[in-house]
Amino acid sequence: MFEPQPMTKVIIVGSKDYMNIAIDAMFKHNVIHITDFVDEDEDFKIGKPHESITKLSERAVTLRSLASYLSIKGKEDISKKYPEGAIIDAIEEKTEQLDVEVTQVTDKISEIDSKIKDINDKKRLLAPLKSFELPLELYTGYQSLAVFFGTLKGSPNISDITNDYELETAPYGRGLTISLFVPRKFEDEVLKRLQEQGYSTLPLPKMEGVPKDILVNLEPQLVGLQSEKQKREEDLADLRKKHIEYILASDEYLSVETQKAEAPLRFATTKNSFIVEGWIPTKDLGLIQSDLDGATNGHVIVDVDSSEAVDVEKVPVALKNPLPAKPLEVLVRAFSIPKYNEIDPTKLMVFMYPALFGLMLGDLGYGLLVIALGLLVSRLIKSQGMRDLAIIGVYAGIFSVIFGFIFNEFFGVEAFGHRGLITSVEYTAAPRLENVFNLLLITFIIGLLMLTLAYVLGFVNEFRQHGLKHAIYTKVSWLCMLWGGAIAVTLVLPALSSGSGIQLSLGLIAGLVVLVVGFILMIMGEGAIGLTEVPTLLSNVLSYSRLLSIGVSSLGIALAVNKLSDALFFSKGGIFVIFGVILLIVGHAINTALGILDSGLQALRLHYVEFFTKFYRGGGIKYVPFGFERKYTEEK
Amino acid sequence: MVDPIGAGLIAIASAIAVGATGIGAALGEQMIGSAAVGVMAEDEGFFGRGLVMTVIPESIVIFGLVVALILLFVTLPSLG
Repeated sequence: MFEPQPMTKVIIVGSKDYMNIAIDAMFKHNVIHITDFVDEDEDFKIGKPHESITKLSERAVTLRSLASYLSIKGKEDISKKYPEGAIIDAIEEKTEQLDVEVTQVTDKISEIDSKIKDINDKKRLLAPLKSFELPLELYTGYQSLAVFFGTLKGSPNISDITNDYELETAPYGRGLTISLFVPRKFEDEVLKRLQEQGYSTLPLPKMEGVPKDILVNLEPQLVGLQSEKQKREEDLADLRKKHIEYILASDEYLSVETQKAEAPLRFATTKNSFIVEGWIPTKDLGLIQSDLDGATNGHVIVDVDSSEAVDVEKVPVALKNPLPAKPLEVLVRAFSIPKYNEIDPTKLMVFMYPALFGLMLGDLGYGLLVIALGLLVSRLIKSQGMRDLAIIGVYAGIFSVIFGFIFNEFFGVEAFGHRGLITSVEYTAAPRLENVFNLLLITFIIGLLMLTLAYVLGFVNEFRQHGLKHAIYTKVSWLCMLWGGAIAVTLVLPALSSGSGIQLSLGLIAGLVVLVVGFILMIMGEGAIGLTEVPTLLSNVLSYSRLLSIGVSSLGIALAVNKLSDALFFSKGGIFVIFGVILLIVGHAINTALGILDSGLQALRLHYVEFFTKFYRGGGIKYVPFGFERKYTEEK
Repeated sequence: MVDPIGAGLIAIASAIAVGATGIGAALGEQMIGSAAVGVMAEDEGFFGRGLVMTVIPESIVIFGLVVALILLFVTLPSLG
C-alpha cells in the first residue's frame, strides 16, 4: 500500500539495423527509465548519436531565435494540436521563409531604434543650449577669439581681467550653462578663473543652425519614427499570431527528434548490435515486449534481467498514489524521494498534514478564505507545483473549517453560542482561550501518537532493509522509551506540582520497566553514546505544543484587529465606520497570510523534523522515462 | 481579585518568556538560514531540507510561547 510503483529491470538487445525503429517504439511509450552506459571497454562502446543531429540542432537554433523575436515562451496554451506529418514535410522551407519574414521586420525595427537613439542623443546635446540664440556654426573657427562653452556653478566674474567679452548664460541643473567669447590673449587667464568656479566643458554639437530651431525640427521626426516602430511591432504581433502554432509545434518536434537522435549516447554498442539497460514499471512490461517485437519483426529482444541480486539503491522510484493524494507528493519530494524499498509517506500526509494545519489555523472564516484562495490559484495558475500546493491548501482549509466549528471561531469572533454571531445555535464548543491547558495536553497526545506511528513505520523499513534484530534495536527501543517515559511523566508530574509526594503505583512501575527495557535495547544496539540522543524524544513531544501556540497567537492577532477597529472607529460611528471596515479587511488579510505561512510551515516541520526522521531517509533515484509528453504535436 | 502587582509580574514574566526566546531563535535562524541559502545556490534540491533546518530553532520560541500561555491562561486565573 505504501510502496512505490513496482519496477522490472530489463535488457533490450538487438541488431543495430533496427536501433532507430526500437528507439521510436521506446520513445512512443514513454515508460523506460534508461540506465546510462558508462563503462566502455574493448568490446562495448558508447553509441554514436544519429547523423541527423547536427542538422536538427541547427534548425532548433534558428527556430528558437525566431521564437524569442516573437516572444513565444513555449508555455502558451494551444487548443489544437499540430499534425506531425505536416511539420516533417514543410519544416525546412517554412522555417527559412519565416526566418526571412521575421528578420525583415526585426531589422527594420532595429534600424528605427538606432535612428531614435540618434535623435535622442542630439536632443541631449542640445538641451543645455536651447535658450542660446547664436547658430551653432558660429561657436567655432575664430583666430582672435577664444570660446568657452560649458557649465559653471555660478555666474562668471571676469570683469577684472577684461571688459571686452560676450557672455550668454542659461540655468542648467543646479548651475548655469555659459558661452563666453573673450579675446585670445586672455584665454589662459579666463580659463583659470572659470576653473576656480567649477567650470567643465560641454561637447559642442556638430550641427548647423539655431539650437531651438533644430530641436523643434527633431520633434516631428521622433514622433514619425515612433509611430513607424509601433507599426512594425504590430506586424511582428501579426506574424506571432499567424505562426505561433507552427513554431511551438516544430520546436517540440525538433526536441523529440533530438532526444531520439541522442539516445544511442546512453546505449552500449558493439560492432553490429546495441544493448540498453533500464527499468520498466512491471505493469507496462508486456506491452513493451510485444510492441518492440512487432515493430522490429523479432530483431530486438526485451529480456527481463533477474540474474543478479538487484541493488535497491539503483532502482528508479515512481511514486504510486491515488489522484487525491498526488498533490502531497510535492511535499514528500521536497524532502527527498523515497528509496525503492522504503515506505512512501504521501498517503499518510493526505490526512495528517491538513489536520495539523487545520488544528493550528482552526477558524471558520480563515478556513473558508484558504479554501477559496486554493480553488482560485488552482484554476488560474498553470505551474503544476503551485497547483499542487493550492489543492493542499483546499484540504487544509477544509480541516480549518472543521476545527473552526470545534473552537467556535469566525475571524476571531465566537461564531455560535454565547455572545456569538448566530446566537440561535447552541452547542458545546471548546474555545481555545478558555481551554489552553486541556488543548496543550491534547497536542502532547497527538505528538505521542504521531511519533508512535513513525517508529512503527521505521520498524517496518528497518525490518525490510536490515532484518528483525536491527529493527528491534533501533526502533522498538525508542518506542519503549517514548511510552515508558510518557507513562512515568504523566504519573509523576501531578504529584510533583501539587507537592503531595510520589506514590509508587503499579502503573508507574510498569512505565519505568518499559523505559528501562528501551534503554537496554538501545545500548545493545547503538552503545551508550545513543543515550545522548534521548532528550530529543522529550523535545520532539514538546514540539507538538506549537499546534496550540501558533493557533492561539493567530487568534490573538484576530482579536486585536477586531478590538482595535471597534475601539478606534466603530464606536465613533459616522464616517469612521469606513476606516473600521478598512482596518478589519487589512488586518484580517495580513493575519490570513501569516496564518497560511506559519501554519503551513510549522505543519510541514512537524512532519519533516519530528515525524520523517524516525523512519524516512529518502535519497531514491527519480524515475525519468525515455519519452516526451507531447503538448503541441500529434503523432502521425 | 488577583493582586495587581502579582498579575503585572506574571504579565512581565510571560513577555520575557516570549521576547527572550524570540531573540534566541532569531539568532539561531539567522546563521542557519544564511548557510541554507548558500547551499541552495549550489543545489536547488536542498530547499526542503534547508527549510527544515532553518525552522529548527523555532522550537525555542514555541516553548517560550507555551510558557507564556500557561502563565497567562492557567496560572493567572488560578490565583484569583
